[in-house]
Amino acid sequence: MRGGATGASDALAIITTPVQTVLARINRATLGVWGTYRDWKNVRAENRRLREEAQRLRVEALRVTETDAENQRLRRLLVLKESLPLETLAGEIIAREWGGWVRSLTVNRGRGDSVARLSAVIAPDGLVGRVVDVRATSSIVQVLTDPASTVGAHIVRTRTPGIVEGEPRGTLRFKYMARDGGGMQVGDLVVTSGLGGLFPGGIPIGRVRSIDDRGAALFSYAQLTPAVDFARIDEVLLLKGGVGRDVTASFKDAS
Amino acid sequence: MRTFLAIAVLGGGVAHATVGSALRVANVAPDIPLIVVVLLALRRGPEFGCGAGFVAGLLQDAATGGLLGVQALTKAVVGFTIGAIGIHLRVSQPLVQVPGLVLLSILEGLARFWLLQLFHFPAPFGELMTYVVLPQALYNGFLGAALVLALAWAERLKEPTAS
Repeated sequence: MRGGATGASDALAIITTPVQTVLARINRATLGVWGTYRDWKNVRAENRRLREEAQRLRVEALRVTETDAENQRLRRLLVLKESLPLETLAGEIIAREWGGWVRSLTVNRGRGDSVARLSAVIAPDGLVGRVVDVRATSSIVQVLTDPASTVGAHIVRTRTPGIVEGEPRGTLRFKYMARDGGGMQVGDLVVTSGLGGLFPGGIPIGRVRSIDDRGAALFSYAQLTPAVDFARIDEVLLLKGGVGRDVTASFKDAS
Repeated sequence: MRTFLAIAVLGGGVAHATVGSALRVANVAPDIPLIVVVLLALRRGPEFGCGAGFVAGLLQDAATGGLLGVQALTKAVVGFTIGAIGIHLRVSQPLVQVPGLVLLSILEGLARFWLLQLFHFPAPFGELMTYVVLPQALYNGFLGAALVLALAWAERLKEPTAS
């Protein structure tokens, strides 16, 4: 009886074992595929999360760089403000006009901040221009490169006096009496003369880039590279009085 | 009508103040308000062009610290003139648009220089024409033509397709 049962069991096993094997393989394969799918899904989610994190960190890094640059600019402005023997007011540039007819900057300081017309406007690198229009909360600054801008100046090394004029193409030129321009060289620094009562003396304007010697003509000209990059400055100092003083010591390039 | 005028002119002014410096090529920036005034005058006629030119010019004068009223006058005249003669021109052709805008920009520059001369504007005429007026006029011409083409394309997209 027992031997018959074993035989039946064996016969059944012969049929079920391959089926079980196949089922087990299918089960393993299915679980494997499912596991791979889940891993892939997790990896995808993690990839997305990491991408977002990288994006956020990139923005953060940009913000930090921008803040750092602003910090450095403001620090330089503060150093200049503290070293100047004059009362000054810091302002932020909120608009620029670069059309050629007029070259001006709009500063967020106006009548409410006691800004006076024709006040000198400076940056850590040198002279920016003068206030030509004062409004309630803003002022228009005529930049040195404006075609209508003229500033009394002299060459530091030779003391050659002259006038710095703006040109329509956005450049600066130094106009001087030919007989005074003897020893002038490319690279010489030009600073405000302090004459005329508008600007303190000793503020850097630019460096001589080329000399246009006009022979027997009364005046000669020198092209200047401006000390200040007018297109890039964001903060300036507006001077409040004390125009008769010499501020050469406050600008390291001017001495 | 008034709302459209205000939006167009203020939009041109805002574009000039914001995008204008970004569109600068070799130190030359386009006069976006002038282009807007010309486009408005061509579509709406001389009175509208004159009004738009006056407002746009006045805003530019006030914003830049220039002599108040000079651009208001020159742009108003340009707006009126182009509005009046625009109906006789085939302004949909780029071959008319580019030289037309260049010519108008030069004329506006000449009128502005002449007006400023009355107030002893010191810039020499030759330098101003070479470095400011002519490059800007060329830029205005191409940018204006591109704007006209973009507007025409946008209008074609808006039209319902005939089935």
